[in-house]
Amino acid sequence: MNAALQAEGLIKRFGARAAVDDLTFEVPQGAIYGVLGPNGAGKSTTMRMLVGVLKPSAGRVSVKGAPLTREALHNVGYLPEERGLYRNMSARSAIAYLARLRGVASRKAHKRADELLTAQGLGKVRRKKIKTFSKGMAQKVQVLAAIAHEPDIIILDEPFAGLDPVNQRGLEDMIRTQAAAGRTVLFSTHVMEHAERLCDRILLINGGRKAFEGSVQDALALAPSTAMLETDGDFDLSAALAGRGFNIAADGQEHGSRRWRAHLENGAGSRQLLAACVEAGAPLSLFEPARASLHEAFVALVGDEAAKKAAE
Amino acid sequence: MGAISLVARRDYFAYIGAWGFWVSLLLAPLILAALTIGPLFLARAEPPRLLTILADRPSDAALAAQAFADDARERLRGDLAGYLDTGAPAAKQAVLAAFDAAPDQRAAITAARTRLAVDSPQALRSFPTPSPRYLVIAPPAPQISGVRAYLDGERTLAGGRTLYGAINIRRTAAGPAIEYWSANLSHQEPLVIVRETLRAAMRHEALALRGVDRAESDRLDALEPQTQQFDPRPSAPQGRITLRQRAPFYAAILLSFILWSVVFSTANMLLNGVIEEKSNKILDTLLTSITPLQLLIGKLLGVAAVSATLFLVWGALGGVLVNAAASRMGDSILGQIAAGFLDPRLIAAFLIGFIAGYLIYGAIFLAFGALCESIQEAQTALGVATLIMALPMMLIAPALDNPNAPLIETASWFPLFTPFMLLMRAPAGLSWLEIAGMGALMFAFAALVLLLASRVFHAGVVDQVSMTGWRRKKA
Repeated sequence: MNAALQAEGLIKRFGARAAVDDLTFEVPQGAIYGVLGPNGAGKSTTMRMLVGVLKPSAGRVSVKGAPLTREALHNVGYLPEERGLYRNMSARSAIAYLARLRGVASRKAHKRADELLTAQGLGKVRRKKIKTFSKGMAQKVQVLAAIAHEPDIIILDEPFAGLDPVNQRGLEDMIRTQAAAGRTVLFSTHVMEHAERLCDRILLINGGRKAFEGSVQDALALAPSTAMLETDGDFDLSAALAGRGFNIAADGQEHGSRRWRAHLENGAGSRQLLAACVEAGAPLSLFEPARASLHEAFVALVGDEAAKKAAE
Repeated sequence: MGAISLVARRDYFAYIGAWGFWVSLLLAPLILAALTIGPLFLARAEPPRLLTILADRPSDAALAAQAFADDARERLRGDLAGYLDTGAPAAKQAVLAAFDAAPDQRAAITAARTRLAVDSPQALRSFPTPSPRYLVIAPPAPQISGVRAYLDGERTLAGGRTLYGAINIRRTAAGPAIEYWSANLSHQEPLVIVRETLRAAMRHEALALRGVDRAESDRLDALEPQTQQFDPRPSAPQGRITLRQRAPFYAAILLSFILWSVVFSTANMLLNGVIEEKSNKILDTLLTSITPLQLLIGKLLGVAAVSATLFLVWGALGGVLVNAAASRMGDSILGQIAAGFLDPRLIAAFLIGFIAGYLIYGAIFLAFGALCESIQEAQTALGVATLIMALPMMLIAPALDNPNAPLIETASWFPLFTPFMLLMRAPAGLSWLEIAGMGALMFAFAALVLLLASRVFHAGVVDQVSMTGWRRKKA
């Protein structure tokens, strides 16, 4: 695997407390990579170490196999969690200024700012001061400022926070566009749905430690699958399938039928469950296998409490 | 260097683009001019203060009235001399001689105007008009008990005017006793004017009793030794001290105040700037492209450029005025004071003091800003620092009294005070070596402060160490 970013044994201590504890992971070139975890898990601290703002207490970060240097960072775009821009600057100047700080020549930086703002529908207000923008518009400008210098690696810390659904969708599209152009995008979030929709690979952090790293599919496989069933009359499905390795619990009763929830464990799939129901002569009026979600995988990996924190 | 210059340029243009900058640029010279000219203008705009004189002896009343007439003439002479300094310096001596030779004020004005019309006719247009400070009027009541009602505002004079003061001269066995009545308790000038006149009259009377005639008595009164002050140092070859030699000390006071206020206000600009960036949450974005030290230096340079712009404009304006005053007014009071600003040691001390003082205080304020979450928090935390900054201002009066006193000399080697004390001591025979030494001390200290400030700045903006955080931990 060709790594765009590599973290090896990253530790960050604040006093006696380790905010990040021995974190090792690789972000493949061209991937959309999600860093997930509840609030306080150490996501932002990890991000800040990846872009050199924070110095790790131990461990190292490499960019394309080379040590993290100021020059290497010119090839990285970063949207911090705590973000803002100079309120009295125009959107165009703010984007161009940050691009110039990352080594882009003045004329090119301004041209690029104009192109990006126009592409995002902000062309008409590009010379207006940021303080006149809505929160969503300002956040768009911040994201554009992170990519204006056309970096190979884009790191976005909680990029969806504070955006309305329309703008969230717009940002998702932008991330896909950047990845399609061959760029590596790494973003942190505690909203699993974004990661599920976007990511090729994910890193789950809890309490500063790695809980999981791998593909989304691998993560989903860790979550227990379930199925919803409905039987006519008083048929007791739980009793009928007892001893066949299925964990079936009653989930309600209405209009002369009973509802059941089956947890598929020990490698059992929905196909085997359906076969067992037929075999037991169950009068099924509904059989609905449920796809495991990343949230469920997260619960399975880190426990209910951490998952609740992540959902907050 | 590229990133530093980008930060400096951004900050510079951000400040230049703010209306506050233009207000400072335009308002400061106006305020300075208002502070200089304002009191004079106000004094002239004030109508004459009405005084009345009561006396047991009419001759005492006449003497007192004459004293105020002489005072009015003296003030007009001062105004005329000042006017001639700027308007017709070449004609000054002759015009004043004509003025002095006339028997009364009206004749003096006519004589001065006539002389000026010959020597410098174009200057006649703005010839000063008499603006006496006191006007003596007839007593509104025969006794002081009756006059009191006019003094405390209970009664007014004709036309609604107010009586300012009353001089009541009683005769006792020991001689005249002067009572001065006025609701303005802090002002005694009318009493002093009458006392000096009566004292002279008493002397004349006493001398007359001993057979000394009036002319001789006047001659005796005018006796006064000639005084001269000399500078023993080899750097003053002529030795004799005039206003020209003292002028740099007065210039140093003014420059110290300017330096102090500019350093303090620019350091505050830095403080506000960094707090604004913290609250705008831009720092994390910047720090991926630039180190905290580069950011700190860039910000210092940006605001330094703002100050330099202000100084350039004010300096050009002031330089033109001072130069014009120094060359045009020659040996006049204004001309000599203006020349004081052109003392090379003073200029060097000002430049070194400004650069080093700005770096020291700017870096300290930037570091404070990095640790604060809000302006209010910064201002509270800076209470002690502000007091320390105010200390050199308190040393200005003793420094003027003796610039080489042990206290001042010691204070001038304390880097936080050096920028201001160096200025105060520069005209007092400070050698170029000492100026260079203090400059080196300040720059070494500035480098140390910059180093420490960059660490604090780093802790504040990167590690998010803050005073609020400390307080929370303590709690």
